[in-house]
Amino acid sequence: MSKHAITLIVNGDEYTLNVPANRTLLEALREDVGLTDAKYGCGTGECGACTVLVDGTRAINACLTLAVAMDGKEITTAAGLAMDGVLHPVQQAFADKAAVQCGYCTPGMVLKTISLLAQNANPTEQEIRKGLEGNICRCTGYAKIVDAVQQAARTMNAETPARRAAGGNA
Amino acid sequence: MSNETVIGKNVRKVDIVDKLTGAAQYAADLKMPGMLYGKIVRCWEHAHARVKKLDLSQAVKHPGVVKVLGPKDVTQKKYNASVLDLMVSESMHDMLGDIEDQPILGDYVKHQGDAICAIIAKSEEAAERAAEKVIVEYEPLPVYLTADESCKPGAVQFTPLKQGNRAFQLPEPMFPKHVLGWGDVDAAMKEADLVVEDEFYTPKQKQCQMEPHAYIAKYDANGNLTCWTSTQMPKCVQAKLSRLFEVPMNRMHIIQTTVGGGFGCRLGLVSEPQICALAMAVPGRPVKLLTLREEDWVISPSRHPGKYWMRMGFKKDGTPVFCDAYFRNYKGGYYLDASGVAFTAGAWLGGMYRFGALRYRGESYFTNQGITGAFRGYGNPQTNFVLEQIVDRACAQLGIDPVEWRRKWHKDVGDDGWCPGVPYTSCALDECLDKGAAAIGWKEKRAKYAHQTGVKQRGVGVAVMNHTSGAMPMLLEHTNCTVKLNEDATAIVTLACSDMGQGSHTALQQVAAEALGFPLEDVQLKGGDMDITGFDIGAHASRTLYVGGAAIKMACDEARKQLFARAAKHLGVTPDDLEMKNKVISVKNRPEKSVDVKTITRLGVYHFVDPMTGKPEGEPGQIVASVSYFPQRNSPPFGASYAEVEVDTETGEVKVLHLVNAHDIGRAIHPAAVEGQLEGGIQQGLGNVLTEEIYYDKDGHVRNNSFTDYKMYGPSDMPKITTILVENPDPFGPFGAKSVGESGLVSPIGAVANAIFHATGVQVTDAPITPEKLLKAIKGKQGARKAAA
Repeated sequence: MSKHAITLIVNGDEYTLNVPANRTLLEALREDVGLTDAKYGCGTGECGACTVLVDGTRAINACLTLAVAMDGKEITTAAGLAMDGVLHPVQQAFADKAAVQCGYCTPGMVLKTISLLAQNANPTEQEIRKGLEGNICRCTGYAKIVDAVQQAARTMNAETPARRAAGGNA
Repeated sequence: MSNETVIGKNVRKVDIVDKLTGAAQYAADLKMPGMLYGKIVRCWEHAHARVKKLDLSQAVKHPGVVKVLGPKDVTQKKYNASVLDLMVSESMHDMLGDIEDQPILGDYVKHQGDAICAIIAKSEEAAERAAEKVIVEYEPLPVYLTADESCKPGAVQFTPLKQGNRAFQLPEPMFPKHVLGWGDVDAAMKEADLVVEDEFYTPKQKQCQMEPHAYIAKYDANGNLTCWTSTQMPKCVQAKLSRLFEVPMNRMHIIQTTVGGGFGCRLGLVSEPQICALAMAVPGRPVKLLTLREEDWVISPSRHPGKYWMRMGFKKDGTPVFCDAYFRNYKGGYYLDASGVAFTAGAWLGGMYRFGALRYRGESYFTNQGITGAFRGYGNPQTNFVLEQIVDRACAQLGIDPVEWRRKWHKDVGDDGWCPGVPYTSCALDECLDKGAAAIGWKEKRAKYAHQTGVKQRGVGVAVMNHTSGAMPMLLEHTNCTVKLNEDATAIVTLACSDMGQGSHTALQQVAAEALGFPLEDVQLKGGDMDITGFDIGAHASRTLYVGGAAIKMACDEARKQLFARAAKHLGVTPDDLEMKNKVISVKNRPEKSVDVKTITRLGVYHFVDPMTGKPEGEPGQIVASVSYFPQRNSPPFGASYAEVEVDTETGEVKVLHLVNAHDIGRAIHPAAVEGQLEGGIQQGLGNVLTEEIYYDKDGHVRNNSFTDYKMYGPSDMPKITTILVENPDPFGPFGAKSVGESGLVSPIGAVANAIFHATGVQVTDAPITPEKLLKAIKGKQGARKAAA
């Protein structure tokens, strides 16, 4: 299989990779970049354990995405969310609500939540549930995850004006 | 209770930050220098066949291939993937008739996905491509998917050790006439005013743990075999692999990786024998083995499906004069756990109600379905679906409120629990029933939904359950714990338990901190490396907190005693005079006479003789306490579930509106984690009763081996959930705690089935209750009504 030189900006760092055309983004992240927080759960886009963000807020299944198609894109994984040891508000909310059990779906669930809240800053419970449909959790019954997303929405909405005032990115 | 500072609090779960940031390492995340990749070549074409020809010549030549292993290239010893045989004495082992019938690689295919040969290559892709070049010719055999088919005379025998393909029946010496129970059912039958009887089918459910099985193993020049695995039972796996490969325990190393969900499927061996065989074929090179989801589906055990017949007799006042039951479950092609579930389904039945007489028979039969074994609940979901529907059918005919009937007839403190001769030590089921009834609005809704017309009809239903905290005295429940106080007055607790996500490491650390009187952050729990930890049977039977917590408490109590004895000597008083606050030990009511814990621990480790006086400073020796613990009880938890459903009588679709799970868990060490178990249990229970089943075509091929075709409840499907923690401290549990790991999924099953019965007046005896089945039952009832009119 012919190889292609691509550049991925993963969690702010640039990686130049030489990948075969059939290499998925998930394989490229796990095997070539060496970041294992995006997980293989099904390989067919059903479980969402491989969810990553493209260009900050768009959630995609890395197992269904070819690495070559992501050439030049910014990719965010769960490992790139915490800043200087401070958890992202979504991670913080998951921690506060004990919304994590085995943890295998967790990185994907957190990233999907960020994407969801970027599209809809004040989702109803129903909208949250609908938004998380592509991410399977077998441990929690989703109850504490939904609680966590609601808390994250509140925190982020409260923080946004403050961040704006401070001149930061909303 | 009020003096406790750490337990009962929702402290931050100890593993949560690593899991949120992706730092937690699961087996598939590990990479090692010089690592090779393994691929198991499986039979996908047939569910029952003999290998006529195996040609590996093309695969060996494939670029990147290091070695190809056929069935004869690995040990010819067979194994039993379950660990039940390690948990019973040899005499009991003989009586149960457990057998070792699983080859590492084989030439007799007993289910789709059975392992034939294996590739070791320099890359995953090379291994996969080489696997495609293996040529296998099969001689197909008749496929048996049910016990009825496999037990027929003339059927191919799966093993010469089990005649008639009956893998197990309750053994005569322990269960006369192969019956578990009490009293004379035949005599009691004559006293019954009402007899309710039916045959049910309970489905084959998949655990669907999110982390597919993954391993690394390495065999070195000194004969050390190391396996990285996310097993639930690391010590048992160590013992089994040691025996299988004849590697002594001190060279058989198990490193437990983060467990991405278990629910029973990692209770014992899955592919550890295969990965270790691969590693031994290439000494010095670590070998990694990954599992595709569709592969995971067929290689790890699922819930035992089967036919479950039950007949119960009642007096007009509801007195249950007898219960007669027969569970005939379907194994896959191998024996593992054949004895366990056939027994426990009856044990939970016997533990539930005060039947005048009980006669339960349990049998397991080989079939060509995928293997069956442990799955959260272990026989309890099957019994709940059947028993709770039979009870409600009787209540409807007798005009008795189902809640009142259960309140009157459930077993209580002093009655025998699931194991005859081991009485219940605590029971707050009445409180669960009361609080649950209030939460669902039982009385109002039972009345309101009694007479409905229209397409959509609602109903409320109730079900109860008993479970266990560890499997003593039936199974070994031994655990070891060591507590070591460092010189800086922090503590390390070692225990070989598995946290599969249930939060046991957090709760156990809370128990340790509470018992030592230390802040939580000063205590660390270590498991993981089986060379460091003492023996522990593993995470099964909802026992980790109950047994592990009790062991930790004992060890910490002992460490604290040593600490106080030294402080007493230091202060010139007796230990009884002392108290500890903020890690300062002082004489009661005389806070000025005190010593810092750190002073004591430091003087024990850095022990010097004073050069001026020539006298030693403090007591020599690090404070370490170890216990080897065998629990004396199994303190069962109880649960009552209530469901409210809406049934579309034109489509048969069931919408669960509200599910209340009220549980008597003794004491909640970490309430949010306990709720999490009950909430997650509901998701799996709803699946069991409404949507989840592995389907096979007539040739034994799995028809739904993906999350698309196997329907689990998703976030939008989930009903409103109310969890109620009833705290009634058990005299034997650590700080009164009983278990909660498995039980949450059990009674939602009966509650939903009974709510459907309340809404529609029909019972579906075949689970899962899909719209097709329910619609057929509703139409059947309407047809019968019309015919009668």
